[in-house]
Amino acid sequence: MATAQSNGHTDGQGFAVPIESASFARDDGDVVVVIGSGAGGGTLAGELCQQGINTVVLEAGPHLTGPDYENDEWPAFNQMAWLDNRTTSGSWRVAKDFPNLPAWTVKAVGGTTTHWAGACPRFKDYEFKVKSEYGGGLDGANLADWPIGLADLEPYYDKAEVKMGVTHRHGRPALPANNNYKVFANGADRVGYTGYATGPYATNAEPYDDRPASIQDGFNFQGDKNGSKWSPLVSDLPKAGQTGNLDLRPECQAVQITHDSSNRVDGVLYLDSDGNLHHQRASAVCVACNAIETARLLLLSASPSHPDGLANSSGQVGRNYMRHTTGSVYARFDQPVKMWRGETMAGIVTDEAGHDPDRGFAGGYYMETLALGPPFLAAFVEPGSWGPDFTAIMDAYERTAGLWITGEDMPQETNRVTLNTGVADEHGLPVPNVHFDDHPNDAAMREHAWARGEAMYDAVGATGAHRTTPYPSTHNMGTARMSERAEDGVVNAFGQAHDVANLFVSDGSQFTSGAAANPTLTIVALAIRQAEYIGEQVRTGGV
Amino acid sequence: MAEVATTGTADATVLRALTDMVRAMFPHPSFPDGPYERCAQTILDATVGDLRFRTQLHQGLRDLDSIGGAPFAQLDAGAKLDLLRGISNTEFFEGVRSRVITSLYDDREVWSLLGYEGPSFAQGGYAQRGFADLDWLPDPRIEEAS
Repeated sequence: MATAQSNGHTDGQGFAVPIESASFARDDGDVVVVIGSGAGGGTLAGELCQQGINTVVLEAGPHLTGPDYENDEWPAFNQMAWLDNRTTSGSWRVAKDFPNLPAWTVKAVGGTTTHWAGACPRFKDYEFKVKSEYGGGLDGANLADWPIGLADLEPYYDKAEVKMGVTHRHGRPALPANNNYKVFANGADRVGYTGYATGPYATNAEPYDDRPASIQDGFNFQGDKNGSKWSPLVSDLPKAGQTGNLDLRPECQAVQITHDSSNRVDGVLYLDSDGNLHHQRASAVCVACNAIETARLLLLSASPSHPDGLANSSGQVGRNYMRHTTGSVYARFDQPVKMWRGETMAGIVTDEAGHDPDRGFAGGYYMETLALGPPFLAAFVEPGSWGPDFTAIMDAYERTAGLWITGEDMPQETNRVTLNTGVADEHGLPVPNVHFDDHPNDAAMREHAWARGEAMYDAVGATGAHRTTPYPSTHNMGTARMSERAEDGVVNAFGQAHDVANLFVSDGSQFTSGAAANPTLTIVALAIRQAEYIGEQVRTGGV
Repeated sequence: MAEVATTGTADATVLRALTDMVRAMFPHPSFPDGPYERCAQTILDATVGDLRFRTQLHQGLRDLDSIGGAPFAQLDAGAKLDLLRGISNTEFFEGVRSRVITSLYDDREVWSLLGYEGPSFAQGGYAQRGFADLDWLPDPRIEEAS
């Protein structure tokens, strides 16, 4: 049989690699069950399979591939976005503008890596110890230091970057400048920034990992039909399938993690595509459903012996929800930009990504290029807007450049995912409610970042600029945080639940703090590290 | 007044009234009538499965012709905007506005009018078609600062 990689093809319809799936028995209690197939779950499952561990992946969404993806924003969104009902509360503007869409995540094999752009900065050392570094003056922030530091993660960052083919790293070449980057980088240069580049970015500038180079089609938010962007869908899962150790079950949504009488989890109840309820036995369960659904599933898994939800003796499950301090600047020029051409986010400015309290806030932020098509720009540039001010923004579309801000936001106990028992999903289960209020530090950082983004564009001749409010969250973190002590968080330094030894959290939920960096690289690095740990536990009988 | 409420289908009067409203809300000097008419038709078509919006639209369009002291179509652009601002907090207005956002700008002719090129994968993306053709700024460094 050919290798999975050589089966990948682009035939004019889009890149697709078959994923061989074993079929393990539902009463096979030796398998590890991974819930979710995105950056965390997909990576973890791949690594476990490579170690010879039989792994069942339950993925709520369908198995879409390159030929399925659409170069068209609304059809693509409706095809892959997680659109199950959710509710919102709090003072964040998303609750008013998009009350049932707190987050923009993906329900498909590959999870939200289907939609992610590819930006891959690492965390900085201080970002693992924010309680120590930031000191007081941040009332309301539930700051804690991570139980690990940068040195613990560096070898895994290396492995993650090699796996993902990150540009500017380990010999991978940089992507070329596209039009949006030319405006962005020249502006950065003219305001005195030096930290601009087209990456690190997990999309091939030249063929790598048996996937082609970018064709600069401008649709990697819509799944990347060309297969140039790393995701578990096109890399880890096909390779895992070749081991014979992967049982991938798309359209299977976990609804409860079950446990035995000795405080160990022993399986997962899930619904198949026909709505039939099944129980898969497991030796260990790894939850990687993105921060909202991970918290929801742990809370849904409440039982008489875990009345507040599974692994929730600390009361921290669902709390400390973080979404990054975000926003955009869209600037207009006299001459054409055509920002939609080329890689969506292959441009980064790092100069503001550091802790400099003289700016009036703790933590730092990145600015990254961002382009939307007219359908999404209309929906998100100024939600609720209409009239001549709005149409002037749209009329300048061809002459517009865009950037996105991603910065550290403060964990707060009251920013929280809870079960909304008054609203049921299509299966009758309570939907998640996402409550969020900006911390004053978040608001101060956003104001600073908007001003600096405008300054960059002013420096290259912008005739006007619009400050765009945060979109529905794509970076969802913190709802099952790592902590040194069991009373302070949900999982330990390996993502292992403090309360339940064979239960793991494997996505951004385990972040103790959010840092400034786009979270995917760190989720992947943590998943590789966690897979090693689980492998040891399996071999030594700990799991 | 045509009966949006009873038939759920658009006759010419309703379509014209809604088209006028959409154009007044989202005035693009370069747009011909076609995109506005298609947008209005899309909104009317969607009322079939949405009784609440159908009823809101039925009464709301009638109100447009009375609030300004003259039929909406006979008001000048400034008066139309003033009228719309006055009702912008209503369910009727927001129902129309939110539906325009997801339909008017999802129109191929509108994309073309705005300069947007739409799907690109089938044409090989922009790698050979100008992804870096901006020539009014110097080519910046792409590597990280050393």
